Amino acid sequence: MHALIINGSPRVKKYSNTDKILLKITAGMEESGATYEQYEVSDRSQWPKIRERFYLCDHILIALPLYVECIPGLLIEFLETLDAERKAAALENSAKRPVMSFLLQSGFAEGVQLRCGEAYLEMLADRLGCEYGGTLVKGDNFSIRLFEGEQREKITGAYQAMGKIYGRDGAFRDEACRKFTGPEVFPLPVRLLVGTIFKTLAKKGFKDKAKEWGCTRPLDDKPYLQ
Amino acid sequence: MILIINTTADTSITSDLREALAGKGATDFEIVEAAGMKISHCVGCNFCWLKTPGICSIKDDYEEILKKMITADQLWVISGTSLGFLDHKGKNIFDRIMPLVTMYLKFKGNQMRHVMRYKKNADVGLIYEGEADRAYLERWNERAALNIGTKSLGVFPAEEWKEAVLCMH
Repeated sequence: MHALIINGSPRVKKYSNTDKILLKITAGMEESGATYEQYEVSDRSQWPKIRERFYLCDHILIALPLYVECIPGLLIEFLETLDAERKAAALENSAKRPVMSFLLQSGFAEGVQLRCGEAYLEMLADRLGCEYGGTLVKGDNFSIRLFEGEQREKITGAYQAMGKIYGRDGAFRDEACRKFTGPEVFPLPVRLLVGTIFKTLAKKGFKDKAKEWGCTRPLDDKPYLQ
Repeated sequence: MILIINTTADTSITSDLREALAGKGATDFEIVEAAGMKISHCVGCNFCWLKTPGICSIKDDYEEILKKMITADQLWVISGTSLGFLDHKGKNIFDRIMPLVTMYLKFKGNQMRHVMRYKKNADVGLIYEGEADRAYLERWNERAALNIGTKSLGVFPAEEWKEAVLCMH
């Protein structure tokens, strides 16, 4: 199995959480003996190459962060540039449709936060003339960028097993992929605990990180009221 | 204040809206023709949360829109469509809204949300030109409004703009 992998994040590769997740996905794919080629939508110089390869690969995996409940504007802009003739040919020839799968990740942790975006991705595959191969849905990824080493590994490590499944199946239809999302919403006791952490430890953590980044204003600053 | 942002090149719809709003005695509205404005996509740098709170790192025409948003009671976006959804120009208006929320988090109901930066945010309505999945857009707009702690005013194809006007007040 060979897959065209598109990192649909608008964030440059160096800082892309999606890219760090893909490092694990592709490591898992390699364990399954699958091969891949990966491109970044954030780098417009790669767009011609992605367009060239788009309808020539049997498997396409678009990995993306959730941006305001759906796909990022930059990814839409790229998809708008796909060759209309090739798309029409793919739509007409249902026997040879590429299998398009997605990896949808977000900062918010609960599965319910990503369902609206996931629903669109299923429609999108069809509109692009592809067979839908499912979406691997997972939240709680905001801090990948903020961490390195073991801390980052704790968040991204589990994706490798999902990559192995994708390399084997060329899709995310396996029950293990559905379970990978975790809870749709957190039970009340967990919400109370996490809510307290948000007001204390997390708040301090964000303030410390902001200081590291050179921030000199309060994080709840209201610049346009001044 | 009703803020209407038109990301399409079609100004006939905003002419109609202007006339209809004036006709029903509305005076507190502003229409921004954004099709020709320089508005980038969001690059996800998180600077508006962690480095320059409330201020986007991209210096383009969007900042003026953001300043208007914090005074608006209603935000209406007129967008073209692509692949059954908003086109990239329309979606960019929403993606760039992140400076209106802070990095801080809380639970609202049973879901995590960002703590709002300003006391007031606008309810959100959508008018779209071209083919799209209306039911999906309605679902999406409800969720999009949640991002700024408000509610959806509805989703209308351009040919039903008069229905949208009924919701503008």
